[in-house]
Amino acid sequence: MSPEPKRFSFKAMGSFCEIQLFDESPVRAKNIAKQLIDEVARLEKKYSRFREDSLLSRINSSAGNKAGLAIDEETQSLFNHALNCFEQSDGLFDITSGALNQLWDFKKALVPSQEKIDAARAHVGLHKVSCQDSHIRLPRYMQIDFGGIVKEYAADSAASLARSLDVEHGLVNLGGDFSVIGAQPENTPWTIGISSPESKNDIMAKIDLINGGLASSGDYERFFMHEGHRYSHILNPLTGWPASGLRAVSIAANLCSVAGSVATIAMLKEEVEAKIWLKDSGLGHVYMDSQGIVAGADLKNKN
Amino acid sequence: MKNNASLNIIALSSTALALPGIALADAPPTQSTISYKLSNYQEDDLSRSEAPLGELDRYDIDVHQFQLVSPLGRNMSLHVDANYESLSGASPWFTSRSLDGEPVVNLSGPSGINDRRTELSVGSRYYLENGSFAGNIGYSEENDYRASYFSLNGERHYNNDLTTVSAGLSYSSDEIFPTDAELFNRVQDEDKQSTSLFISVSQIINQLSSFQSALSFTEQSGFLNDPYKLRDIRPDDKTQIAWSNSYRRFFVSANAALHVNYRYYHDDFGISSHTSDLSWHQNLGRTFQLVPQLRYYSQSAADFFTNVDDFLSPLSEYQSSDYRLSAFGAVSGGFSVIADMGSWKATLTAERYLANDKYSAYEVSEPSTALVKYNRLSLGIDFKF
Repeated sequence: MSPEPKRFSFKAMGSFCEIQLFDESPVRAKNIAKQLIDEVARLEKKYSRFREDSLLSRINSSAGNKAGLAIDEETQSLFNHALNCFEQSDGLFDITSGALNQLWDFKKALVPSQEKIDAARAHVGLHKVSCQDSHIRLPRYMQIDFGGIVKEYAADSAASLARSLDVEHGLVNLGGDFSVIGAQPENTPWTIGISSPESKNDIMAKIDLINGGLASSGDYERFFMHEGHRYSHILNPLTGWPASGLRAVSIAANLCSVAGSVATIAMLKEEVEAKIWLKDSGLGHVYMDSQGIVAGADLKNKN
Repeated sequence: MKNNASLNIIALSSTALALPGIALADAPPTQSTISYKLSNYQEDDLSRSEAPLGELDRYDIDVHQFQLVSPLGRNMSLHVDANYESLSGASPWFTSRSLDGEPVVNLSGPSGINDRRTELSVGSRYYLENGSFAGNIGYSEENDYRASYFSLNGERHYNNDLTTVSAGLSYSSDEIFPTDAELFNRVQDEDKQSTSLFISVSQIINQLSSFQSALSFTEQSGFLNDPYKLRDIRPDDKTQIAWSNSYRRFFVSANAALHVNYRYYHDDFGISSHTSDLSWHQNLGRTFQLVPQLRYYSQSAADFFTNVDDFLSPLSEYQSSDYRLSAFGAVSGGFSVIADMGSWKATLTAERYLANDKYSAYEVSEPSTALVKYNRLSLGIDFKF
């Protein structure tokens, strides 16, 4: 077993990504990395919001079509998970928030009128989407975006594929969403540095991962100030306004997909409620609150 | 510690795990666990009125159990179990009538019984995407008894892991060679075989409750008598069926779980039995758990049970005065304290068991004089590494 992992970096899903594998054979490691990168690329192609030929774009352009659009099992499962996130968060985590995203321009830091927000909110609400009998039916003007789910799923899926290819020690990192293939040799955990939302180069905490995954959500340099409040780019579908609770949160869980969902929900909750909810979750987590205070629990998480 | 947040997490995991690219293999252990458990089982002694002559001490058994569970490669686990038992005391030898007509028990003795049992079993489980397979072989030896056995079983998950179906079979070949066989005119060397099949379905009903139901059939053939009893003649074939059910429910507000179990048993010796038990698993913080438990058991008598051995009946006629074949009821109460400190876990259990013909739910035509009462105390330590 080589003492150092072999590292393969690539760009996918709009992020810097990296796969680390421990393997004696550089040829085999490269071959495996290529298959994992292909898997990530497959999911990006299928669920990208920015590609007209993606399945997601076809779903969105079918909005209003009463017959709906035929979808495969993978998409149905992603939808089921999204619906579960919606229900478990009492509507905070909503993949139909797209109409709101178009309204808020964070670069120009403009606050849209309340009328416009209310009008957009009429086209938001996952409970209005029907997804059964292998068909998805979107109401007119409604858009869905798997962006908050697919990157984490891709990390888990790539890690799972690596395990099926007999990789015992390795890590998948898709732009800060981590999924552990297996601990480093001799059961050494992967230590993951969590960037501070104030500067990506500053580490605000470290989390040890033996297995499972880690995901983060935060306003990392994408926020604006309005009337003394700091607003992130993460929109609360219930108010139509950006969230203004925690500034950043990272979660360790049994899967990157679970960690990602929990992190997003925590960002959308009111600050005090989010802190209690995270503490009660029993998951390893670290967050920065609106005062810039960093706190967390179980950073030597074994999940 | 379960609360709304952790229930949210469990719910989120359920759909995330159903994502096709993830399809986690059924998880083999990632850490090794070594366990040791010491149990003492002590039957109450008989009184002089129950046994006017001979020994009064009944069984006193110490059991040492060692277990190792360890990952073996990526998809397998290894299980090694070793048990050592030392047993002393006396068991009922025969029952007779006293001068005033009351049945009395005569315990074996006067030296009683001193026996040791050692057992070793080794098994492995192979984990697949939707289930696992396991095999196990074992050997057990006493002064007068040897058993070799194996078992095979498999389980498969359906319905996003909410439903699990498992099935298995086991076979045991036993040899009995009583001590002092010539001196007491006992049998010298006999054997018996047991084959058992089971099927079980468990269903997770929701985040808070689950239900399991299992059916098992066992066929025994060969020498089924108790060779130490003066007169004990049983059929050489026995068919047993058991139906077991268990329901578990977690109460968020109490941070505790209720376990309810019920088992029905029937065999063609004529014994039917009901067992129900109830336990409450109370969490105290993340470290401690207290478990009070109550159990009720009742069985009917075997067709050929007699409380007073009849030495005049022909040898071809089945008869046994074994108290375990009589109609009786039993209640037991126990209490466990569990401390879970991550890599260390300790479990202390105390139990009191009382068997009595008066507790029987079945009609008792002839109560046994030899029913037991016992105390059981055990301490178990698990260490993960």
